[in-house]
Amino acid sequence: MTRDWNQLAAVSIRDRRMKMAALTLFLVAVSAPIVLPYFWMVMIAFTARTGGADADTLWTACAILVPVTLGYSIAYASLSVRYRAITGAAALILATSLLWFFLGDDLHLNNFRFMINPNIVEDIRGAATAGGQFPWVWNAFGNSLILAGTQTLIVVTVSTLAAYYLSRFSFQGRATFLQSLLVLQAFPAITLVIPIFLIVYWVGLLNTLYAPILVITALELPFFIFIMKGFFDAVPWDIEMSAMTDGASRRQAFWMVVLPQVRVGMIAIGVFAFIKGWEEYVFVTGLRTGNSYWVMSTYLYYVREDVMGVDYGMVAAVSLLYVMPSLILYLFCQKYLTQMTIGGVKG
Amino acid sequence: MATVELKNIRKAWATAMAVDGLDLTISDGEFVAILGPSGCGKSTTLFMLSGVYLPTSGDILFDGSRVNDVEARHRNVGIVFQSYALYPHMSALQNIMFPLRFQKVPDAETRAREMADLVQVGELLDRRPSELSGGQQQRIALARALVKRPNLLLLDEPLSNLDATLRLTMRAEIRRITHELGVTTILVTHDQLEATTMADRVICMNAGRIEQEGSAEDLYLRPRTLFVAGFIGSPPINLIEGKRPELKLSGIPVQSGLEDSVTIGIRPEMLKAADHGLPATVSYVEPMGRETLTTVDTVIGPLRMLEAVAVPRWRRDEQILLNFDAEDSMVFDTSGKRIDGANVRLLEIPGA
Repeated sequence: MTRDWNQLAAVSIRDRRMKMAALTLFLVAVSAPIVLPYFWMVMIAFTARTGGADADTLWTACAILVPVTLGYSIAYASLSVRYRAITGAAALILATSLLWFFLGDDLHLNNFRFMINPNIVEDIRGAATAGGQFPWVWNAFGNSLILAGTQTLIVVTVSTLAAYYLSRFSFQGRATFLQSLLVLQAFPAITLVIPIFLIVYWVGLLNTLYAPILVITALELPFFIFIMKGFFDAVPWDIEMSAMTDGASRRQAFWMVVLPQVRVGMIAIGVFAFIKGWEEYVFVTGLRTGNSYWVMSTYLYYVREDVMGVDYGMVAAVSLLYVMPSLILYLFCQKYLTQMTIGGVKG
Repeated sequence: MATVELKNIRKAWATAMAVDGLDLTISDGEFVAILGPSGCGKSTTLFMLSGVYLPTSGDILFDGSRVNDVEARHRNVGIVFQSYALYPHMSALQNIMFPLRFQKVPDAETRAREMADLVQVGELLDRRPSELSGGQQQRIALARALVKRPNLLLLDEPLSNLDATLRLTMRAEIRRITHELGVTTILVTHDQLEATTMADRVICMNAGRIEQEGSAEDLYLRPRTLFVAGFIGSPPINLIEGKRPELKLSGIPVQSGLEDSVTIGIRPEMLKAADHGLPATVSYVEPMGRETLTTVDTVIGPLRMLEAVAVPRWRRDEQILLNFDAEDSMVFDTSGKRIDGANVRLLEIPGA
């Protein structure tokens, strides 16, 4: 029996394209609910007028983007590699120009006025409504930076040193220590709010920025120590021994030879620790009794509070400012983050 | 350059004794190989010499002075690891210069480049270890170990990650370089060929002890223990356990029971096809290039026979007769010691 190779090849090419198309459609469908909120946030921030979000602009934008995306994915699946890039560029240009044409008039930056106006409450509600309790956004932004930055510094330093010790030295209770690191991670931190509040109160750190910094650091350390231990475990003993016979002391071997090998791990936990501190809400609201300090999460919370009358445009604009640092960090550290798995085995 | 002495060195881990009473003297400029199976304590010995491990008891002497308590970084020992252990974040040149950073050498880069030329990697110095082949990494590691002009060079299975051809060239290269520098060298390996081809003297270790030391031919022709006889030689020696009616033992001291519990060793190349002897059936023929290894079945068990012929002489299932000279056989007692002067010969088998 002779086989019709050409026909068989045609069948498998068709099958492959169908599968590709189905997969693309599926991925688009599941990504939509994740992407849409961010998309809306951006849209609202740049288009909404005082008093409410204009739903029409959203729907117009969706009506432009959904067909273009779908068209592109179909084209992607059915065209050869050579035309994919061209189609992509065409789709991008088409979407941008359509959006500009239909929504260009609605774009404005008025929602971002909180960035240049130190007293946004008075601006909205008239003089002295909130008694000057509400800070300028950069005040909260700076506090958030201090909180996240300090916390990251402590987490990276402590977990790197602790993980090195755990990875390289054997000591009494090492196994128990490692197990308890994992067990600690199993408790929801929220259950600790009241005891921690009491401790912070007795120590006298209530209503200071030190409290959330220390508390978040303490809660995060176990997990990050564990991750860093994985990275150190992956560094071969040989290079450390080699450094020591080459004339380095143990400390020099650590600095000059071992530490550069776990750089990826340090960057990764640094990013995660920073984002954890940046987004923290529970322990920053929980550990203050008045408006002693503001951070971005509490700022955002009050912007959407009735105090100011809900201005969706401004909420979206503040949100946009709020996600920016995390986004930038992710963009710059993406290649390190994708190398992080628990245990530090590079994928 | 230095004389190295180990005196009754022991190293105990939590669960086991890695090195158990090692005595060894290595003279200045000598190239010594420590040969043994994995887990015999040879690498542990190496790391004790380098100062990374501390011996549990015993003394290490460099040029007659005890160095047990001298830290690794002050011992001036160069070491090449099996994995090469190059620092991945540094260029080849930085790797070679690394040991000089601690010595305040004024012309560090010149010295590093000279050493790189000696090991013939002069043009690769800007590359990272990940951009180098195994053989190149090996040369860099060797340069790094030698650049500080060490008293003692330690090589931990330096060739085992290289392919066969490269291994051949690196064997000669390492010998050339160490000879040129006159550095006292200790090579640790489980590969007998590496040990016997490179070293002036081979030390065969097993279970933390020295089994035998001597020249390569001493170990091969005159093994003192069953372990050495079995470990050295490829294909391995034929071992026949216990007394057989087909074999006549001689030269064994008159002691009750000893005759029954000996182990007899015959090297594969000592077995020959003959007009009369032990009937054997060929079960497997392996042409190995210059030689042919034939496995046969006999009443005393399967035997390996190595013949210096490129074209196999026998076919599968062919019936042949085997014989060997009595002086080529070895006899070992129950404790694994070779019985001096004892040998064995085939009895004429009636009807064969």
